[in-house]
Amino acid sequence: MSDSPDDPDLLAAEYVLGTLDPATARRVAARSATDADLRRAIAAWEERLHPLSAMADEAAPPDALWRRLAGSIETGAPIDSGATVMRRSVAGRAWRSLPVWRASTVAGLALAAGLAAFIVLRPPPALPVAALLPSGSAAPAYMAQLQPDGMLRVFALRQAVVASDKDLELWALPRGASAPIPLGVLPAGGRAVVASNVSANGTQLLISLEQKGGSPTGRPQGPVLYAGTLHEVD
Amino acid sequence: MADTERYPGAPDDSAEAAALAALLGRCGQGDRAAFRRLYDLESKRLYGLALRITRQPALAADAVHDALLQAWERAALFDPGRGSVAAWLTGLVRYRAIDAMRKRAREVTGIDLPDEADETPGALERLSASAAGEALRRCLSTLEQHQRRVIVLAFVDGLSHAELAVRLESPLGTVKSWIRRGLQALKACLEA
Repeated sequence: MSDSPDDPDLLAAEYVLGTLDPATARRVAARSATDADLRRAIAAWEERLHPLSAMADEAAPPDALWRRLAGSIETGAPIDSGATVMRRSVAGRAWRSLPVWRASTVAGLALAAGLAAFIVLRPPPALPVAALLPSGSAAPAYMAQLQPDGMLRVFALRQAVVASDKDLELWALPRGASAPIPLGVLPAGGRAVVASNVSANGTQLLISLEQKGGSPTGRPQGPVLYAGTLHEVD
Repeated sequence: MADTERYPGAPDDSAEAAALAALLGRCGQGDRAAFRRLYDLESKRLYGLALRITRQPALAADAVHDALLQAWERAALFDPGRGSVAAWLTGLVRYRAIDAMRKRAREVTGIDLPDEADETPGALERLSASAAGEALRRCLSTLEQHQRRVIVLAFVDGLSHAELAVRLESPLGTVKSWIRRGLQALKACLEA
C-alpha cells in the first residue's frame, strides 16, 4: 500500500473508516459498483475494522423500530428516512417532468405520492427512473430506479398475483439492442434490487410472465406484462 | 444452526458468524421469521453503534432501519465470500449514521464529545472478546498512540477529519497523515 492519495487500498480503508469527505465517499461507492478490486478492498477493510464496533456500548433499540421495519418490508416502503424538505422539492420537480404525470387519474395521483417518496431515496443527483405499465393502461404497476452504485431497484406499486407455477421475470432492453438482457425473477412482493449494467437513458425495462424460476432460454418465453423506459428525471 | 444463541463475549465467533450467514440466506428467500431473528441478534449492537455515532436516538433508529431494510432487500445478493454478515451490517449502519451526521454539518465547537472509546474501561476488554477483535487489539497496541486514537475515534465515534483535528488539537494535515500511516501499519500487522 503506497502513501499516494489515489492508492485504491488506502481509499478503501478511509472509505470504511468514514473519514472521506462526502463527495469522495460517494465517488468511491459509485466506483465500487464496477470495480471488483475496489469492492474486495472495501470488504476486506470492513472485516478488519468491524471488531471495533464492540467498543460502542450495545443499546436496545426502541420497540417502535422493529414495528417500523416490519411495516417497511411488508408494504415495500422506500428507504427514505433521510428525507428532507429539500429532497422533497427535488422529488416534486422530478415528478412533474415524467410523462405519466399527465394522466390525471386517481391512480395517477396515488402514484404521484408513491413516486415522490420513491425518488426521495438518494437524491441528488436525480436518478433515472422508469414506470412500468401494463399494455394499454396509464396506471404503472412497477417502479424502477437506477441506484448510484449501478444497482437497479424495483418495486410493485400494487400487489400482483402470480400463479404458483409461474414467476415474473425482469429484463432490460438497451436502446438499439434487439434482445433483452435477463435481470432475474422478481420475488413475491415485487421488491428487488438487481445488479444491472444498463445505461441510464432510454433503456427499456420489461416484466414477462415465465415458468417457475424464470425463462430457461435467456429470452422471454411468456408474454410481456409490463414495460417502461428509464429516464433521467431532472 | 440458525437458532444458535449469540453469547456476548464468546471467544470463538465462528458459530455466531455461521448462524448470521444462515439467517441472511433465509432472508434472501423472503423468510420474515429469519429477518426477525437476525434483528434480535444484531439490533442491540447496531443500534448502540449508531447511537454512539449520531448521539441522537431518532437518527440512530433511522440509520438502523435503513441499513436493515437494505440488508433485507439485498440479502439474496450477499456473497459469503466477501466476508462476515456482521461486518457487512456494521458497514451498512455506519455509512448511514456517518452520512446523516455529515449532512447535519454538526458544529464541532458546540458538540459534547463522548468519552474516548479507547479510554473507557472495559472497551478494550470487549474488543478482546472475539478472536478477530483480539488480533485487532494487539495490532492497534503496536501503533503510535495518535495513530491508534484517530482510527478508533473515526470508527467508533464517526468523527470527521475536522472533528479529529479539533479533538486532538492538531493540524488537519497531521491528522490525515496519522490516519493513513495508522491504517497502513494496522494492515501490515494484521497480515503479518
